[in-house]
Amino acid sequence: MRTEQAHMLKRVWAICWKDIKLYYAKGPIVVTGVLFPIFLWIAFYAGRGLDLREGLGSLITLTLLFTASSVTPIIAPWETRQRTLEMVLSRPITVRLMLIGDILASTIFGLIFVIPLIVLGIILNIMPANMFLTMVIVLLTAVGLSSLGIMFSALPTDTPADAVLLSSSIKLPLIFVSGVLVPITQLPTWILPITLLSPITYPTDFLRLQYLGNGFLPSYLDLTVTTLFTLAFTILALKLHEKTMLVRLQRR
Amino acid sequence: MDAIEAVDIQKKFGNITAVNSVSFKVKEGEIFGFLGPNGAGKTTTIRMLTGLLKPDRGYAMIMGYNVIDEPIKAKMLVGVVPEDANPYPDLSSWDNLVLVGRLYGLSGRDIKDRASKMLKLLGLYDIMDRKAKNLSKGQRQKLLVAMALINNPKVLFLDEPTGGLDVLSARMIRELILELKRNGVTVFLTTHNVEEAGALCDRIAIIKNGRIVELGSPDELKIKVGAYTYVTITFNRALESRELVFLEPCEYKVQASKLLIVCSKPVEAIVKAVEFAKEAGLEILDIRISSPTLEDVFVKVAKGE
Repeated sequence: MRTEQAHMLKRVWAICWKDIKLYYAKGPIVVTGVLFPIFLWIAFYAGRGLDLREGLGSLITLTLLFTASSVTPIIAPWETRQRTLEMVLSRPITVRLMLIGDILASTIFGLIFVIPLIVLGIILNIMPANMFLTMVIVLLTAVGLSSLGIMFSALPTDTPADAVLLSSSIKLPLIFVSGVLVPITQLPTWILPITLLSPITYPTDFLRLQYLGNGFLPSYLDLTVTTLFTLAFTILALKLHEKTMLVRLQRR
Repeated sequence: MDAIEAVDIQKKFGNITAVNSVSFKVKEGEIFGFLGPNGAGKTTTIRMLTGLLKPDRGYAMIMGYNVIDEPIKAKMLVGVVPEDANPYPDLSSWDNLVLVGRLYGLSGRDIKDRASKMLKLLGLYDIMDRKAKNLSKGQRQKLLVAMALINNPKVLFLDEPTGGLDVLSARMIRELILELKRNGVTVFLTTHNVEEAGALCDRIAIIKNGRIVELGSPDELKIKVGAYTYVTITFNRALESRELVFLEPCEYKVQASKLLIVCSKPVEAIVKAVEFAKEAGLEILDIRISSPTLEDVFVKVAKGE
């Protein structure tokens, strides 16, 4: 049994290794992961003369959004088009394990960009109130956003642009309604119902609480909802792909 | 134990039945050919046998493992060269092999040993660092074969393995298939090259409109399907067509002193012709028999004759 589990982990790692080599260890992807969140953050925070402490939580969330969910939407359509998907799925790996490998790679990619920000905060004496819980929410958010990206790619298409369009049309508005750039308390009240539906509202609020001491929601609620979102996105991503894989393989 | 067993497998896509109640068994160490015209259901059958598609009805077993209930155990014993599949274009040949080796759960050392052996065997060792996208079509196909063999499979599925290969590379793959058979590997082969199937396969199934319409050894199929044999008899003088009506229902044609008979029972036709020659005082100068090819069988079955 233990050997079987070790083999399963090996397979997941094989997919993760392949994703890192093929998709993440590429200049343009790395640059996008760094530049987008920093530019957005500078435009909203530094532009208004606010300091790093004020916006570190938002920068972390933004970075996770632009890294953890950046590549996952394109993997399945791209590999369908390149005719590599069938080659992989003919090997001893299930659709589920393959996607877990994709989520793992994306999560690692997200963490690689976020951890230096947390370390930078520590160097500048900007510490979260609870480092452990901060790391927990960062990890949960990275997994959740990676799974969200995988969900977008469940659309059985072999055109990566279709999945990117779907992903961007949902991800970008989230930035403006989730309290990332403007605190929730300063958002118009009519946006609040949408804000509470956004998966990045909760980690943003939690990190604000950690770094500034004032959040909109209690921290246990932020943690619970983030966990639920992560679970829901992961399960949905796996289920949707298992459903659409047949159509995808036929379409190839 | 049978290496492959398909029991009443069926797959529908919407209203179209791609594979309809297909059943067959492939013995261990056998080379089994799976032929059929385009769209007959070959690839869908392979996808069900390799666990990529779930049959709507029936089941498939690989070395005693149900492909749907125990997909990993079944796939561990299998190597696959899927039709039109590609290695990862942006990974090197070596990395593609490492990836597949890891998916089979091989240790780093085993991957290194097997990958080197396969690359040497298939003449790719010197270009192992070249990205797959920079390989020629033939080299890519060989890489796919190497990837299918990295786990020392007991059952090998080859979907058009020599398609698009030059003569030398195709011959190398054919020799490799025979070598694998000698080592006890079961090979399930689909190919459009009917003569290749005839030369390699112990048994052949012909699928048409999702159903297996013929199954047997190449020689059995020739007899069973009644593929035509061409008999050419040369006499010492010119003949008249009307003299030869006794040959019917065989088709025949007279060209001066040459008689061409197209029939499924050549011995019977030759005996009749010899008797005719005796009665008519003719001398037979030459008799030539052209055996039917597997292509003749395939054409006959594909046309539904």
